[in-house]
Amino acid sequence: MQIAVLYGTETGNAEMLAEDIGAHLGDHEVTVCNLSDFDPTGFDPAVLYLIVTSTYGEGELPASAQPFGNAMEAAAPDLTGVHFAVFGMGDSAYPETFNYGGKRLEEMMKNAGAVMLGERVTHDASGDDLADDLAFPWAEAVVAIAEPALAA
Amino acid sequence: MPSVAIIGAGPSGCYVAQALCKARADAAITIFDALPVPYGLIRYGVAADHQGTKAVIRQFERLFERQGVRFAGNVRLGADVTLDALRAGFDAVVLATGLGADRRLGIPGEDLAGIHGAGEVTRAWNGYPDAVAPPIGRRVVVLGNGNVAIDLVRILAKGAAEFEGSDITGEPGAGVEEITIVGRSAATVARFDPVMVKELARLAGCRIAVLGAEGEGKGIEALQSLHGHAPEGAAKSLTFRFGLTPLRFLGDTAVKGVEFSDGTVIFADTVLTAIGFEGDAARDVLLADASEEGVLAPGLYATGWFRRGPRGTIPENRADALALATRIAADLPRDGGKPGIDVPGMTGFDGWVRIDAAERAAAPEGRVRAKITTHAGLMALAQNTGETGCK
Ligand SMILES: Cc1cc2nc3c(=O)[nH]c(=O)nc-3n(C[C@H](O)[C@H](O)[C@H](O)COP(=O)(O)OP(=O)(O)OC[C@H]3O[C@@H](n4cnc5c(N)ncnc54)[C@H](O)[C@@H]3O)c2cc1C
Ligand SMILES: Cc1cc2nc3c(=O)[nH]c(=O)nc-3n(C[C@H](O)[C@H](O)[C@H](O)COP(=O)(O)O)c2cc1C
Repeated sequence: MQIAVLYGTETGNAEMLAEDIGAHLGDHEVTVCNLSDFDPTGFDPAVLYLIVTSTYGEGELPASAQPFGNAMEAAAPDLTGVHFAVFGMGDSAYPETFNYGGKRLEEMMKNAGAVMLGERVTHDASGDDLADDLAFPWAEAVVAIAEPALAA
Repeated sequence: MPSVAIIGAGPSGCYVAQALCKARADAAITIFDALPVPYGLIRYGVAADHQGTKAVIRQFERLFERQGVRFAGNVRLGADVTLDALRAGFDAVVLATGLGADRRLGIPGEDLAGIHGAGEVTRAWNGYPDAVAPPIGRRVVVLGNGNVAIDLVRILAKGAAEFEGSDITGEPGAGVEEITIVGRSAATVARFDPVMVKELARLAGCRIAVLGAEGEGKGIEALQSLHGHAPEGAAKSLTFRFGLTPLRFLGDTAVKGVEFSDGTVIFADTVLTAIGFEGDAARDVLLADASEEGVLAPGLYATGWFRRGPRGTIPENRADALALATRIAADLPRDGGKPGIDVPGMTGFDGWVRIDAAERAAAPEGRVRAKITTHAGLMALAQNTGETGCK
């Protein structure tokens, strides 16, 4: 299966996780790409998109995902037939906007007609879990659901 | 194999190494630091109750654990090794030593007892080796309008129970009754991050008054929303004031208050200044010929707070470091290269691993670690002489 891991980051946590997910799914054809380098008109229904993003400001997207967010609004692409999943990185020290970055991208993708696979999973920088330990089972589960979905 | 020496294991130095590992996997990278422990202000600046921000360390651990970067601790540039020796030994030398000195206000009375810089204070509260925590009285004035000033007031305003999950040593604000944070400029141009301001609304034992925060914008809204915060049984109070330029400190031997240019006097037994950090004359000389990207001379580079001054958070240092790494990657030789050097007395990453484990193991209930706060204690573990110094 073709998989694109897209990440939005400011201090690099999401980038490292995206690369780790990419390596973990090494049996597939995986690319890892910063959202800052991804054009929303380039989504492809043949590819599974795994989106990893952190949160900044007051529940905003991290700097590297902001151009993507703006372009999604400006271009309003029709993402019917596109499948994605979201892994959010945040910090429970910001309780009111915990993991809003991932939430925002989920909403944007859904509003554009894309289908989310599985649940959005969140990582807490103030918690004890390593991001990899949460993200690998998530990625594996999503890939398992995606196999029939993308084949159809 | 080209060799790279990065001086300073703070976020800037670590991000340069991280990017270089990707761009030039053939390079042998050593990160030197004056301390036997890595991570600079992530460990000794970022507030003890912001552990989530410190979590970037997980990225940097990997450099040393898996990516072949060598940590050479206990090596102070200028004391244990010269720049010339490093430049002779390595193809590229990157200065990422940050800015350690508190900027002074330069007004009369600044040397009175009871007046301390934010760097001095936050290092002590973060368990910097051999740093002595300044005594904090009952009435504290914090001068400054940046995020570091907010860190100071938040820590002073918190009680022991509010440090759950932190790695703070003690309770710095135990005896504090009144805190006043004063900005020279109007509230509209205060440099606080609104999120940092809003966080104060969670203080459980401190009333808050915000005086003179008129205007518009996210920052003003955040400030205004704090006004009137009055948790039940609050024993402390925090007041924000703006537009007051300090003129002089009052007192004979110990500070008694601050007089401002409009005649306002605020009485205090402790004054903490949080008005920035600065470098020394040697830095000015080195940076005199710096290019925009941070190239000082062939094979000599600078990044982070050392290059840009004490502005910018971790993300901005990362962007700076990534840009510089691209430049270094292009400059490094493709074949051959200098072999690198060792410095007598240097300690390795294994030393930090032992320190880290000992600190975590010693964490009291409700804290994530108990820092080893003496240089001797850190060195004992770093050199594995068996003595922990963690008493
Ligand atoms: C109190 C405080 C709180 C902060 N809180 C936050 C926050 O919450 N979030 C955020 O994003 N940013 C925060 N910052 C800003 C952040 O810490 C800086 O942006 C960042 O640390 C700068 O990185 P640096 O690597 O350039 O310098 P530093 O982190 O200062 O690292 C410099 C390193 O060089 C070493 N060194 C110094 N001199 C020598 C020498 N002669 N030889 C060898 N080694 C040497 C030092 O030991 C240190 O390890 C805070 C800053 C302060 C002061
Ligand atoms: C200034 C600042 C604001 C933040 N705001 C939020 C937030 O509103 N919600 C949240 O869940 N996490 C927030 N975070 C936490 C980050 O999303 C978290 O540390 C994440 O691991 C960073 O990943 P990155 O390195 O990929 O950017 C914030 C962090 C900082 C430094």
